[in-house]
Amino acid sequence: MSRVIVVKWPAEKVSKGLDKKSYKIMLEAGLTSLFDSNSLKTTIDRLFPGGIIGMKTNCLTRKFNSTPVALTDALSDILINNNIKENNIVVWERTNYELEQAGYKLNASSFGRRCLGTDSNGVGYSRDFYGAGDVNSLVTGILTNMVDHNINVPVLKDHSIAGLSGCLKNMYGAIHNPNKYHGNNCNPYAAHVSQLEPIKSRNRLSVIDATRVQYNFGPGYDSRYIENFGGLIISIDSVAADRVGLEIVETMRRNNKLPSLKEAGRPPDYLQTAGEIGLGIADMQKIELKVFTVNDTGKPQAGRLF
Amino acid sequence: MQRRFFLKCLGCTALATAATQTDLLPEIIGGVQNACAFDYTKKLASVEARHYKKLETGGIECGICPRRCNITNLERGYCGTRENRDDVYYTLVYGLPCAVNVDPIEKKPLFHFYPGTTAFSLATAGCNSNCKFCQNWDISQSRPEQTDNIDLPPKSIVDICLGKNVPTIAYTYSEPVIFFEYMYDTAELARKQAIKSVMITGGYIEKEPLHDLFGVLDAIKVDLKAIREDYYKNIVDAELKPVLDGLIEIKKAGMWLEIVYLIVPTLNDSEEEFKELAQWIKTNLGVDTPIHFSRFYPQYLLKNLPPTPQETMEKAHDICRAEGLQFVYLGNLPGHPAESTYCPGCGKVLIERRGYRIYKYNLKGSNCSFCNRKIPGIFE
Repeated sequence: MSRVIVVKWPAEKVSKGLDKKSYKIMLEAGLTSLFDSNSLKTTIDRLFPGGIIGMKTNCLTRKFNSTPVALTDALSDILINNNIKENNIVVWERTNYELEQAGYKLNASSFGRRCLGTDSNGVGYSRDFYGAGDVNSLVTGILTNMVDHNINVPVLKDHSIAGLSGCLKNMYGAIHNPNKYHGNNCNPYAAHVSQLEPIKSRNRLSVIDATRVQYNFGPGYDSRYIENFGGLIISIDSVAADRVGLEIVETMRRNNKLPSLKEAGRPPDYLQTAGEIGLGIADMQKIELKVFTVNDTGKPQAGRLF
Repeated sequence: MQRRFFLKCLGCTALATAATQTDLLPEIIGGVQNACAFDYTKKLASVEARHYKKLETGGIECGICPRRCNITNLERGYCGTRENRDDVYYTLVYGLPCAVNVDPIEKKPLFHFYPGTTAFSLATAGCNSNCKFCQNWDISQSRPEQTDNIDLPPKSIVDICLGKNVPTIAYTYSEPVIFFEYMYDTAELARKQAIKSVMITGGYIEKEPLHDLFGVLDAIKVDLKAIREDYYKNIVDAELKPVLDGLIEIKKAGMWLEIVYLIVPTLNDSEEEFKELAQWIKTNLGVDTPIHFSRFYPQYLLKNLPPTPQETMEKAHDICRAEGLQFVYLGNLPGHPAESTYCPGCGKVLIERRGYRIYKYNLKGSNCSFCNRKIPGIFE
């Protein structure tokens, strides 16, 4: 059984994106409920017992539909408030260019929160190959040399090849040869990429931004197929988080009279594969889904996915 | 070949040996400096690609190789070097090679194409397959922003060749099919200056771009990785049939063609495969098509296998000769007699080679010096 928390902000208030304060309220509500302790501090201490923490963003689509700066800022604030040093937080992506295009301010210095791409001077990829199943890749030095834990912070999207872009697909940005692994709707590759040792061992938490969901014509930005959902999907199981994300995308497609991803020829079967190899839970029956709604008052209330 | 020309060729070989040392490259390429490493904004080209079509459903379909990647906005194809930006398809590697050397033409290997001369050899990042034995995986399996590239437009290459008296340009090392536009434009420009162009390729290319290349290239060497489809699927991550079809097209076009077959122990080294290979070449390309068997050394993802035993190499050689193939070579076995070219008529040594060097040259023009038999290839 894996627990997945969905925290929802009123959908009608997210069309222009959320600010840091709103994201912080959502994150605090979600992280508090992640374990039975119902304590934010216990959650942070349990997930991040010291060390350096990375946050893998998805900045493919620049400012339009990338991991919002406000979300990583809010997440950083929560970590800092729980005794993580600011400089021990590293927001990262494949390239500096992508981060800058998405509105991030680069910082590779010893002061303040760090923000950098794998292409930063002195970072690059691992010297040795890592292998898992059908994948053999060099892995970003950010994971192999720089951070002890990683938070996967993707954006929920339809994906023209993989079907779904969420946590597992986002880790393509951690390897040097992602273009080799798009065949067969990324199955089994997306599962095997997340099985690579430096990725699997460091991924501790997944936070999917599902405030505005590109439910068709992703992963690029297409304003015709964006829907306000207002949610964050939070879990320590990236497969389960993606599986819940899939429910959201499929429901939106159905509501908008679009064929299912399977009917559209891009079933995200890599989730099933990920479940089969023990990376996480892909069966909705075995996912404990908790949905909360929050607003400016910060008091979470039980809610429904739709 | 005249004695004077032969000596000149030997000189070129010496130059090539020196040129393969990286520290001499700036001099050879006229002081072109390395592009700033890992600088995404400066490194990538934005030249519109050829051979693609826009799809009605959105996105584009790449037509450069049989993968025919369907690519939506901001995504790249399998090769990692061609990108869709708002349904216009761009090559990101045009004019940006990451490997540049002057090599002996024998290194390609092309043994029947101006022996003893040199080739200005270049490659960009990227490849449309993923051979588990690749010896250049650090560039072929990388995206262009992950390699150190130099700014070298087609005209600069041609100018360097003219300035340094390098007679041939070789598009090689990674997979030139994926830098088609750069190769084509360079070869077209080079032809106007009487500089030859050769493509060293896996041959995994669609017919239309291949036919375009016939108009600007002078020779093609194809790495035929195996004669079995399952090997292509499991070891190369590509398909055999389009490669075989392409070989036939190359031959039909009258383009000079040589083939390399890397023998990987336990994977493509059975007698049945060698026989099948020889028969296919004999039937479809002719017995006068040179085939080079190359010795495998553990590399990249196949470090668990040993180097190819010499006996296996010789077995392949003997089977192909017994099937009637006239020019069967063994590579990566320096000093082996099967590095040399023998006259199919009188059996005498026409070109004696050791490694990339030529020690005897017994051709008059394109004919055997001893029996006057015409030898296939481009020699003068």
